[in-house]
Amino acid sequence: MSGALGLGWRNIWRNRRRTLISMSAIGIGLFLVIFYSGLMAGMLGDAKNQLDDGGLGHIEMFADGYRLKHDVALSMPEVDAWRAKLTLPPGSEVGTRVLARGLATSARGNEPVQVMGVDWQDETRLSSHFRHIRAGALPEDAQGVLIGEQLAERLGLKVGSKLRLMVQRTDGEMGADLFRVRGIFHSIGASIGLRQVYVSQQTARDLIGLEKGAHQLVIQLPRPEQADAVAATLRGEVGAGTQVLTWGELLPVLKRMDALTDSVVFALAGFVYLLVGLGVLNTMLMSVLERTREFGVLMALGSRPRRIVQVVLAESFWIASVSVLAGAVLGGLLTWHFSSAGFQLNVGTEAIQLEGATMSTLVKTRFSVGDLFKASTFVYVMALVVGLYPASRITRLQPAEALRRA
Amino acid sequence: MAVVEVENVTRVYEERGQPSAAALRGVSLKVEKGEFMALAGPSGSGKTTLLNLIGGLDVATSGKVMVDGRSLSGLSCVELADLRRDRIGFIFQAYNLVPVLTAAENAGYVLELKGVGAAERRAKVKAVFERMGLGAFLDSRPLKMSGGQQQRVAVARAIVSEPAVVLADEPTANLDQATGAALMDLMRELNRERGITFIFSTHDPMVLGRADRVVRLIDGQVVANAPPAQ
Repeated sequence: MSGALGLGWRNIWRNRRRTLISMSAIGIGLFLVIFYSGLMAGMLGDAKNQLDDGGLGHIEMFADGYRLKHDVALSMPEVDAWRAKLTLPPGSEVGTRVLARGLATSARGNEPVQVMGVDWQDETRLSSHFRHIRAGALPEDAQGVLIGEQLAERLGLKVGSKLRLMVQRTDGEMGADLFRVRGIFHSIGASIGLRQVYVSQQTARDLIGLEKGAHQLVIQLPRPEQADAVAATLRGEVGAGTQVLTWGELLPVLKRMDALTDSVVFALAGFVYLLVGLGVLNTMLMSVLERTREFGVLMALGSRPRRIVQVVLAESFWIASVSVLAGAVLGGLLTWHFSSAGFQLNVGTEAIQLEGATMSTLVKTRFSVGDLFKASTFVYVMALVVGLYPASRITRLQPAEALRRA
Repeated sequence: MAVVEVENVTRVYEERGQPSAAALRGVSLKVEKGEFMALAGPSGSGKTTLLNLIGGLDVATSGKVMVDGRSLSGLSCVELADLRRDRIGFIFQAYNLVPVLTAAENAGYVLELKGVGAAERRAKVKAVFERMGLGAFLDSRPLKMSGGQQQRVAVARAIVSEPAVVLADEPTANLDQATGAALMDLMRELNRERGITFIFSTHDPMVLGRADRVVRLIDGQVVANAPPAQ
C-alpha cells in the first residue's frame, strides 16, 4: 500500500460496476464536450476561413455609398497608391477589384453576372476558386475571361467560346465588348460559379470607363479573429470617404452564428459538466457513506481528518484520472481525425450558402490542444472538488458516531 | 502508575438538540499500567460509551478523562487522533479490518500513520504475526480468513505499535467459545509479555474469568469494582 493514493485505487474497485458506470459517464461527457465544441468551432471556423470561397475578405474597403447604390462611379481612385502603406499583420493578402453588374450573353442565352476586374496574381492568393481551374487557364490577354462551371453549363460555354459582356459605365451609358473564355473554375459555392465573371483589371476599367482605382479592396488576414483590431487601425489610416468593414459587418449572420454557437457550446458544456458533477457526487456519496463505519475505524486507529479527506479525494482522483484520460483521448483522437478527414453532410451539395457565407458540407472539426486541455482540466478539477463534500461529511462526525453507523 | 483515569464522567446524548438518555452518570475509574481489566454489564449499561471516552472517540459531557497522564478534554481532533495513533490500540467486536488491504497492511496501518517505512513496518508486523500464529497470512485478504484469524489480525493491529493501553469492545462476541478463549489467552500472554494494559468490555463469563479486575456497570454507573468472582 502506498498511502492514501494506493488505498483510494483499491477502494474504487470495491464496486467495480458502479465505478465503471461513473467513469463512463464522466468520460463520455468529456468526449461529447470536446467533440461537439470542436465540431462547431470547425464549422464556423471553416466558414470564416473560407470567406475567400465567396470572394469575400476578412476586411473589405469601399468608397462611401458604393455598397448601398452599387454605382460604378463611386470608386477609390487612389487605392493603388495607399494600399502599400496599410498597417497589416505579416502574412496578410491584399487585392483590389473593379466591379460592375452586367449581363453575359452567349449563343445559347444570357445570365446576369458580376464582372470583376482583378489582378490575376493577387486574386489567385485571395480567391480559392482561382486555384481550382477545371479547364483552360487564367487569361493572359485583355479579352480573356474566367468563368465558373455553372455559368459555362448554363450558357453552353467551353474554353475558347465567345462571350459578350454588357455593363453600365461610369458615364451612365452602356458598355459592351466581346470576350473569349480562357478558363473555367470550380467553386463549392454554386452562386459564385454562376454569377462571377473575371477579367483583367485594366479591361474592366476600360469596359466601364473608370480612369484609375478600384471599387473594392480585399484583405485576407492570417486569422479572421484579427479583423476587428486591424480594421480599427485601418480606419484611422484611410480617413474619411472610405468605408472599412470586417467580415462580421459584411456577414452579420455569420457573426451572430459565432456568438450563438459559443452560447450553445457553453450551455452544452455546462449541462454536461453538471451531469458529470452530480454523477461523481452520487458515486462518491454512496461509496463513502456506505463505508462510514470503516472511516470511523480509520479515525479510531489515529487517522487525522486530513488523512480521511486524502483517502476520499484519492478515490475521486482515480475516478477522474481514468475517465478524463479516456474521454480526452477518445474526444481528442476523433476530433483530430475529423479535423483532417472531415465528414460529409448528406445534403446533396458541396456547400451551404448562408447570406453570402459559404460553408462546406464536408465538415471538418477543429482540433485544439488548448480546448482539449481546458475541458479536461475543468472536468478533472470539478470531480476533485465534488469529492470534498462526502469527505467533509465524514470528518464532521465524531469517530464514535461513525463507528455506530451501519 | 495509572494509565487511565476517569473522574466523575457523565455522557448525555442529545436528540435533535435536546438531552435524552444519560449513557454514563458520574463514573470514576483508575486503571494501572499492565492491568488486564474487564468492563462488565448488560447491553446499554455504558461499557462501549466508557471505552469510547477513554479512547478519545467521543467527548464527555462533564468530568475528566486522562490517558497516559494526559487530559483528553480540550484536545483538538488532530491531537486526539495523534494520541490514539501513538498511545491507544483498539479491538472491535466485528474485527473491522479494511477489506481492500492485506492482513499485514491492516496490521501495519497505524505504523504507516506514524511514518514507519514499508520495510520496517513489514518486519514488525511479521514478528507479531509469527508470535500470534498468523505467519502464513501476511498477504491474505481479510475476507479469505476465518473470524478468529481476522480478530487475531485486529489484535496484532492494536499492539504492533506498542500502545500504552488497548481497548477491546466485546472482542469475543463474534467468535465461538473455543476461538474466543484462545483469543483471550493470547491477549493475556501479550499483556504479560509486553506489559500492555488491556481494558475490554464483555458480558461473557469465560472472558470475565480471565480478567485481573472486573468493573461492573449498570445504567451508566459503576456498581462493582473487584477481582472476578471465582
